[in-house]
Amino acid sequence: MLAYLLMSGIATGALYAMMAIGLVLVYRSTGHINFSHGELFMFGGFIAYTFFVILGVPYFLSLILAVIGGFVLGILSDRAVYRPLIKAPPLTMVLATVGFSFFLKGIARYFWGSMEGGDYVAFPAAMDPSPIPIGSIMVFPQQLLILAGAIVFVVGFTIFFRMTRAGKMMQATSENPTAAYLSGIRVERVYTLTWGAGSAIAAAAAVLMAPMTLLSPDVGFQLLLKAFAATVLGGLGSMPGAIVGGLLVGILESLGGGYVHSGVQDVSAFIVIIIVLILRPAGIFGVRNIRDT
Amino acid sequence: MLQIEHLSVWYDVTEVIRDVSLEVPSNSIVALMGGNGAGKSTILNTLSGLLQPRHGTITIDDIPMANFHPQDMVKAGVVQVPQGRFVWPGMSVQDNLLLGASIRSRKEKHAIRKDMDDVFQMFPILHERRKGLAANLSGGEQQMLAIGRALMARPRLLLMDEPSHGLSPLMVEKMVVAIRQLHERGLTILLVEQNVGVAAAVSEHAYILANGEIEFSAVGSTLADNPDILRSYLGGSRDDGSSMEPPSTGA
Repeated sequence: MLAYLLMSGIATGALYAMMAIGLVLVYRSTGHINFSHGELFMFGGFIAYTFFVILGVPYFLSLILAVIGGFVLGILSDRAVYRPLIKAPPLTMVLATVGFSFFLKGIARYFWGSMEGGDYVAFPAAMDPSPIPIGSIMVFPQQLLILAGAIVFVVGFTIFFRMTRAGKMMQATSENPTAAYLSGIRVERVYTLTWGAGSAIAAAAAVLMAPMTLLSPDVGFQLLLKAFAATVLGGLGSMPGAIVGGLLVGILESLGGGYVHSGVQDVSAFIVIIIVLILRPAGIFGVRNIRDT
Repeated sequence: MLQIEHLSVWYDVTEVIRDVSLEVPSNSIVALMGGNGAGKSTILNTLSGLLQPRHGTITIDDIPMANFHPQDMVKAGVVQVPQGRFVWPGMSVQDNLLLGASIRSRKEKHAIRKDMDDVFQMFPILHERRKGLAANLSGGEQQMLAIGRALMARPRLLLMDEPSHGLSPLMVEKMVVAIRQLHERGLTILLVEQNVGVAAAVSEHAYILANGEIEFSAVGSTLADNPDILRSYLGGSRDDGSSMEPPSTGA
């Protein structure tokens, strides 16, 4: 039982971690929480649904196309929402990203909302859904795929940040945008790339998660809440914190739902977060005033 | 090389730079001095494209710069070493330097590597610490890194904003030596400096700002003995800790 719950929690936590990475990426670079991040996730899922279910494109190709679609959508959200308000007060940005999330939900509902007679559409399994034994526990192949996918994306992002010029420019801009301007870095382009990358990883998470659940235009908000909880738990602005926070939220949910009551599943992580934040307000990997350093 | 004519810069409804005109000839060091809030850094930030002037012209090698972006200024060879160093603390010394060459093409890989070696030759401590985080450098070493990063863009006009600020006397002397070395390499330097001793030791000419206007200008070597500076710029006292004596580097 414990091993099964842990495996399930780790797989779900890996998805939360991917979502949290996207949130942290944008927050570190721009200083704003993207409240439309959940809807970017949802949109990525529907893009994959269109390719995989409607057009019959293979799952992995649909995953890649959804990631590309998510990247483009992230760039559009930068140009439509962030760029025009770049000098606006933080509250304006909150309202703008919330507004954009409703806009995305509306578009999703228009195109995919009544596809299967209701708001929810089923995303078929990417592979044989029969559980396979690993040691003494039974594991769903999609859970292994989620884990593998999350590892590939996290490692890929880490290599991108550490090894590539564009990744280093993103890091430099997040640490000190003025110094980036003075070194000739096109900071606005870095912001665009950041929104694109954050949205792309959300789309990847959606495609990995979709076969385990149902897709609906409203699915993003729940995921945003979990990802936000993961970033707060890990320490807002910390990339390792986002990964650890995501995994912890997933595991806590799974254990809470398994050992206490299924109704506790959605709140168990938040209870622990409240306790952690009382004891350690900056989160586990607490990064304070990241943009002032 | 640089000509500023009738420059006026505003922050919202406040005019912070008023009708400033000055000239920085090629291969010279010109100092811009004045008390806190006089507008020195504002002029540098305007030259770097971080602020847009409301009136006036900025001409670099007879080419007028208008509505320019910071990257355009770096491409034009105008690079700032900002006050407070502004290094990227979470990145290695080497990455800080490499990102200083952001505007240069990837095809210049070998030239960029050679320029980094030149920076390491000028500041050997940076070579020793090239793999460490910039956050772990001392204040003086971070200043060296900020200068090195600016050099990686191959500037022709270097804007230095108080390079001696917050440094120990020994490090200030090293900084004076470094500024002279940069000058010998053919760089033109506009130096914002509150330390009269440093400005007198390196600059050929100085403009003294007060309340966003140029109050007067003077020959660099006479700065330390100029009674007008003491009166207008230090408010008649030296209680801000700045030195009127040139650092002991043979000046």
